[in-house]
Amino acid sequence: MIRVTNLVKQHGQTPILNGATLEVQKGQVAALVGPSGSGKSTLLRCVNGLEAFQEGEIAVGDALKLTGGSAPPKAALLALRRTVGMVFQQFNLFPHMTALKNVMSGPVYALGKPEAEAEATAKGLLARVGLADKHDAKPAQLSGGQQQRVAIARALAVNPAAILFDEPTSALDPKMSAEVMRVIDDLADDAALQVAMVIVTHDLAAVRRIADVVHVLGGGKVTFSGPPDEAFAPNGPAADLL
Amino acid sequence: MNRRWVLAALVLAFAAPASARDEKPLLRWGGDKNGGAPYIFEAADGKLTGFEVEFAEYIARELGRTPRFVQNQWDNLPDLLKRGDIDVVLNGYEFTKERHDDTPSTVPYYVYSLRLIARQSEPDIFSWADLGRQNEPKRVGVLRGSASQRYLEGRFGNKVRIEGSETVTEMLDLVQAGQVDLTVQDAPAAAYYVTPERYPGLKVIDEPAGYGYYVLLTRPDDAELREKLNAAIRKAVSSGWLKQLYQKYGLWNPAQQRLSYLAGQPWPDAAAEFATDDAGYAPPDPPKLSGILDKLLTAAAYTILLAVASFPIAMVIGLVVAVGRVYGPWPVRALFTIYVEVLRGTPLLLQLFVIFYLPSQLSKIEGWEWMSALALNKWAAAIIGLALNYSANEAENYRAGLMAVPKGQMEAALALGFTKWAALRYVILPQAFRIVIPPVTNDFIALFKDTAVCSTVMIVELTGLYYAYKVYPNLVLELALAVGLLYLLMSYPTAVLARWFERRLALTKEGGRA
Ligand SMILES: Nc1ncnc2c1ncn2[C@@H]1O[C@H](COP(=O)(O)OP(=O)(O)O)[C@@H](O)[C@H]1O
Ligand SMILES: [Mg+2]
Repeated sequence: MIRVTNLVKQHGQTPILNGATLEVQKGQVAALVGPSGSGKSTLLRCVNGLEAFQEGEIAVGDALKLTGGSAPPKAALLALRRTVGMVFQQFNLFPHMTALKNVMSGPVYALGKPEAEAEATAKGLLARVGLADKHDAKPAQLSGGQQQRVAIARALAVNPAAILFDEPTSALDPKMSAEVMRVIDDLADDAALQVAMVIVTHDLAAVRRIADVVHVLGGGKVTFSGPPDEAFAPNGPAADLL
Repeated sequence: MNRRWVLAALVLAFAAPASARDEKPLLRWGGDKNGGAPYIFEAADGKLTGFEVEFAEYIARELGRTPRFVQNQWDNLPDLLKRGDIDVVLNGYEFTKERHDDTPSTVPYYVYSLRLIARQSEPDIFSWADLGRQNEPKRVGVLRGSASQRYLEGRFGNKVRIEGSETVTEMLDLVQAGQVDLTVQDAPAAAYYVTPERYPGLKVIDEPAGYGYYVLLTRPDDAELREKLNAAIRKAVSSGWLKQLYQKYGLWNPAQQRLSYLAGQPWPDAAAEFATDDAGYAPPDPPKLSGILDKLLTAAAYTILLAVASFPIAMVIGLVVAVGRVYGPWPVRALFTIYVEVLRGTPLLLQLFVIFYLPSQLSKIEGWEWMSALALNKWAAAIIGLALNYSANEAENYRAGLMAVPKGQMEAALALGFTKWAALRYVILPQAFRIVIPPVTNDFIALFKDTAVCSTVMIVELTGLYYAYKVYPNLVLELALAVGLLYLLMSYPTAVLARWFERRLALTKEGGRA
């Protein structure tokens, strides 16, 4: 589904990623862990086309491919972003739209779906994340946990093949954090959904619970890819993150 | 301490220059040399010349003083005199009773008349009387605050549309370019300028009308100076010196014989003896505020019209420029940056002059006649000028607004598959719009006041009206208060409305908790 090969990324002279390689299967839940500043966010942003990279290749599905060093054609970027959704640490809801309009925005403004159809889908998704009664609330009227759940519904609304979560609970207190994690758990458990998920998080208990595979990032490379038990085993590759 | 400073300054200001060059005290005389031939103008070699320059030199010689010319805009000369910056106004100022009460006049030094000037191709007007017979009133230009203005108002009222300019040549350019239909100017200026060499496109129509007297203006408390000036003028008349001067400039005519008669009469009582002109027209009483109320309201309406018509244009241009500067490719960014800096770095007044007067002036140059196609009518020029000037400010406001929207908003929209333009339209601009409401409404209020510059392109909005009527000393204070009040009545509700609008938007954003 997503294949990252030998990704090299620098900010000016500073190397961030230096040949990172990883693969995520269709419907798989992958966790990306590593110390702060190791380049996890950068990697996700490259996969979503929000940042350019110098070398390597990112392939999504059979048809979509970004190559390092060259500016990708606009059409390819657009197609990529409509295939891969993203949930941000800071939620980034649109403050001037209600929760419902936020969830409808992708289908209507990006995919050109009719409002009525988008509204029906959006209501279903808001119910799924437990916010059926908050259609008309503006983001400023919602708690952080509620906002992040709206953001997840918004990402799901364009029917992506994969969703990237960049520390979705780091800005939240434990109670709200748990609320959001419950939604993610629910998505991970839904066999019918068939959405690949890549989660960057410091919530290692959650990783153990839901991840099919853990990728450990360090020194600009993916140093380990394997099941959580192995990753977090004593003296395992991710043991020092515990 | 304080007094010693003043003393030192006085010594520096007066004693030093006087002792250095010349023992004689100065006679500071005010005039406007711009478009001022044959009165006061600069010859090709840059030397100040004209019949009034020679006359001022004669007077100063008689008074034992050194003449010092002080340049100022014509219609502000009496203000300058009252402030004490000059000792006397000597620049084709016509005698009127009200003006005499405000700034007492000397005996006259010239009997002027008014000439009607039109384009060679003027189809409708062949005499003064024709002006009063038009279904569609003609646009007739005058020097603002001059006798021509009063003559036209008094004789034709609403039958003509009066346009005011600050200099004679400016107005002649406008008539030749077709931006104004006709103009009324004093006979000396008409004789000098309306010739096949200077203004081949113009002609003088009908006989002179509206006879009156050029006088010097002085301060009320300067009775002694006034007496000396009168003595000098009487001598110039009786000795034949003035006749020679006027013959030299081609300004002598039989009407000047009145000067000899008047020189022997008490002044200003004698002025009434020739109170009607050949057309039987007598000057009207000075207007009262109640009499020009309709004009005041029209002027206020023009002020509102100018602001309301130009601001939306400024907002649209500003939006395009701001989006181009923040999100466009570098050539667009560079071009728009230059656009903004040029418009913000030059005065609105200059921009308006360039838009309105430059094309008609350039069209006089050989090979540039096509420029007259760019000569806009005054409304188009004013609205375009204001809109362009304010578009630069609005562009900066919107740019700040766009940059104040967090980066994550654009990224979230892009991640959902929005195109950049869809993200701008549905996500970024609506948020930027809220941010810029306060600075944009501030600009709108400022624009109301800046419409005042449109009086320089002959639109009689509030400030223009004030300029046109401040020549009447009996009116000036009430008029200033009325005009100020009207401006306030426009800007204050706008400010209140803006605050309400801002609060309402803030409220929805905070969900009514604010
Ligand atoms: N725009 C940028 N310019 C320069 N350096 C950056 C920029 N963004 C991130 N970095 C650097 O890249 C490194 C990786 O950042 P990031 O991907 O955010 O790490 P992580 O998400 O793993 O904490 C950090 O050292 C960070 O300082
Ligand atoms: Mg990060």
